[in-house]
Amino acid sequence: MSIFKEHRTIADRSAADRSRHKRKIEKAIRDGVTDIIADESIIGQDGKKRIKIPVKGIKEWQFIFGDNEGNKQVGSAPGAPVQKGQVIKKGQQQQEQGNKAGNNKGEEFYEVEITLEELSEYLFESLKLPDLEKKKFKSILQEKPKRHGTRPHGIRPRLDKKESAIQRLKRKASARRAGEIELDENGEESFPFHENDLRYHYIKERPKDATNAVIFFMMDVSGSMTSNIKFIARSFFFLLYQFIRHKYEKVEIVFIAHTTEAEVVDEERFFKRVASGGTHISSAPFLALDLINEMYHPNSWNIYAFHCTDGDNWEEDNDKTVSAFIELRDLCQMLSYTEIVLANERPNWDTSNNSKLWSRLKSIESRNMKMNVLKSKDDVWPAFKHLFGGEDV
Amino acid sequence: MTSGLLSNTCLEEKMSDWTFDDLVGWDDKICEIARRHGLDWYEIAYETIDYHEMIGAMAYHGMPSHFSHWSYGKTFERTHSMYNAGLEGLPYELIINSNPSIAYLMLENPLYLQILIMAHCVGHSDFFKNNRTFRETDADHVTRKFRSARQRIQGYIENPHIGIESVEKVIDSCHAIQYQIDRRGRFRLGEKDLKKSLIDKINNDKTGIYKNIDINKKPLEPEFDIMLFILENSNKLEDWERDIIEIVRNESYYFMPQIRTKIMNEGWASFWHYKILNELELPDSLHIPFLKTHNQVLRPWGGRINPYHLGFEIFNKIEKKMGIEECFMAREVMSDESFIMQYLDEEHARELNMFTYSPKGRKNPDWSIDDVADEEGWLEIRSSLIKTIGSNSIPVIYVDDLKDGTLILQHEHDGRDLELDYADNCMKNIEHLWKGKVKLLTTIEDEPFEI
Repeated sequence: MSIFKEHRTIADRSAADRSRHKRKIEKAIRDGVTDIIADESIIGQDGKKRIKIPVKGIKEWQFIFGDNEGNKQVGSAPGAPVQKGQVIKKGQQQQEQGNKAGNNKGEEFYEVEITLEELSEYLFESLKLPDLEKKKFKSILQEKPKRHGTRPHGIRPRLDKKESAIQRLKRKASARRAGEIELDENGEESFPFHENDLRYHYIKERPKDATNAVIFFMMDVSGSMTSNIKFIARSFFFLLYQFIRHKYEKVEIVFIAHTTEAEVVDEERFFKRVASGGTHISSAPFLALDLINEMYHPNSWNIYAFHCTDGDNWEEDNDKTVSAFIELRDLCQMLSYTEIVLANERPNWDTSNNSKLWSRLKSIESRNMKMNVLKSKDDVWPAFKHLFGGEDV
Repeated sequence: MTSGLLSNTCLEEKMSDWTFDDLVGWDDKICEIARRHGLDWYEIAYETIDYHEMIGAMAYHGMPSHFSHWSYGKTFERTHSMYNAGLEGLPYELIINSNPSIAYLMLENPLYLQILIMAHCVGHSDFFKNNRTFRETDADHVTRKFRSARQRIQGYIENPHIGIESVEKVIDSCHAIQYQIDRRGRFRLGEKDLKKSLIDKINNDKTGIYKNIDINKKPLEPEFDIMLFILENSNKLEDWERDIIEIVRNESYYFMPQIRTKIMNEGWASFWHYKILNELELPDSLHIPFLKTHNQVLRPWGGRINPYHLGFEIFNKIEKKMGIEECFMAREVMSDESFIMQYLDEEHARELNMFTYSPKGRKNPDWSIDDVADEEGWLEIRSSLIKTIGSNSIPVIYVDDLKDGTLILQHEHDGRDLELDYADNCMKNIEHLWKGKVKLLTTIEDEPFEI
């Protein structure tokens, strides 16, 4: 005769371990964010677009066998005739480029499918937009997103700790009435949080036309900008766009590509175009200034401008560039100048750390004009944080 | 823990078709039949739980109390999402090797399934109690030990001088070598006795083979229990680190017998649930769904060996050819390795249409069949099967030497290369425990290789 009992626990015993695991995943999402900028155009997309992020599973390492011929497996298939030499599992088609996901044995990939909006939430929750001038759009006041009560579902950063604690107490009280309090090993009352206790702030959609921002993405597209450099620029721009879009209701983007002359282009041409010729960096900020004059008056627009280059500017243009940047800086919420210098692509006769232009611009760096050097894609996130501050989550 | 018997049906909101009294009534009948057949099991304590709790229990190997670690959260999420995606059914049964044996019945299961599970659990519990491999698992005290381990680790997590990050790191590292233990069990000669017996051998040595033995070498003999070697030879470990290593090590010794008897254990439980349910004289409304589930669980998987299926087939064959006494003898003295060696014959391999297959080439290879169950092939099939079952699917790595503070490990290469990315990361974890240099010697593509 066996013993039967109803399991009375109301505790969600794996909750703590799940949240530890989740934090590791979130970190992996952030670490992987510069890898997700695939070929498709995502910079200009709205927040509803769903993207798949390959997140490397948090692995539990063990010694395991690899796939060499000596590693024979055994199968059993009654009813199905099998023959020696019969191929029962095809090798996978050649994967695309080298460092893409999924090549190694045992690689576990969580394909986390999230919207850009959610991605931004994860990335930027802890960061603060520079609190410079509060812009007004015509007569409409800038409205902050407002908390509208709580909901049982949401993302971690929006957890309402107080409300969750209240829910837990409520459940505890009713459990006690039902005589269902569990004692732990020490005979003490144990009453951990249950998933159903958790409450998240609900943030109401922002009112339309509240605030506008315009972003000028400026990039040197001269011959010395290799596709690897542009890849990193794209990752960087992507982050910047997502961040700003996350903070404002309406964001317009202007892509300005330049060699010795600047022009407004679309996203695809911006990243794909290879132009020959020299480099006059000043051409880009001057074009941005013209556009601001014509279309984006600083009284109604929050203006952001970001420039990426390999630093290889023609010397006669440096003076002009500095004055253009000063002028632009004074109109922008944030202006940045970024040099992308890949260690393995750097000419070996060039031993200086930064370009001549770098040291000139350094003198005008300020609260809303910042400078960065990116040596690899791992520098993208730190550079981003350098611009907008904030603690790592 | 054994869990399996996956359900492929989706969980719907449905009213259960049974009451507690139904369970008690059927359990009485099951126990009576089982006793009549000579089964001898630990008392079973069934707990009814819901789907969410079942996944939670599974994540912690069914242990009612288990220390906390992110990897169990990962297991939970994976099971949960695989289930939601319809990739995997839920386990019908979960029972642990303890006295009494704790087993879980999922509230959502229909009555016929609960009956099947209860009969299946009797088989498992009988196996836990009688199979020799389990002799050192201390079923009487195991739940208490796990609870105490949990409390201690919780204490380290809450200790401001230690904290969760450091605790996790040590557990991560232990997990990397958790199955690098002595697979035959933990009790053998201690270092002192070993030394003494070796000195005796050297003193009475007439053949000269012991001439060059250095009796101060560490370890004197290959040490398969890497965690033990670190515990005994490191002077850099803090007490709490030692305790965690010991906890993980104990858990490995507790679970190793289950790893080594998966086919027998599942085969034995299935053999008995089938017998018992056929003797229960179930009404058709229960008997037909039972047969359907039974056939679904015990079907061959094609590219992999289904332990339920293979074990069930072999036990049936033994009964038919040699009588039930032989079955009882096997359940007592054997583990999967000897069981397959002893009872899998050519006829059987043919009936089950077994085959071996391997990758051809190194990068993205095709896998093709090497041996089929014929006169020449079946022996190769049997030996490949033995190489891949139970703990044999885990590479054997032992401590060979300790030189100038460097731990030198050796991989016992048996034709199968190590996966290098995993090996690299395991080495980092071992270094974290050893707090010093660690070297591993192995063979990759027929060349000596050092990590």
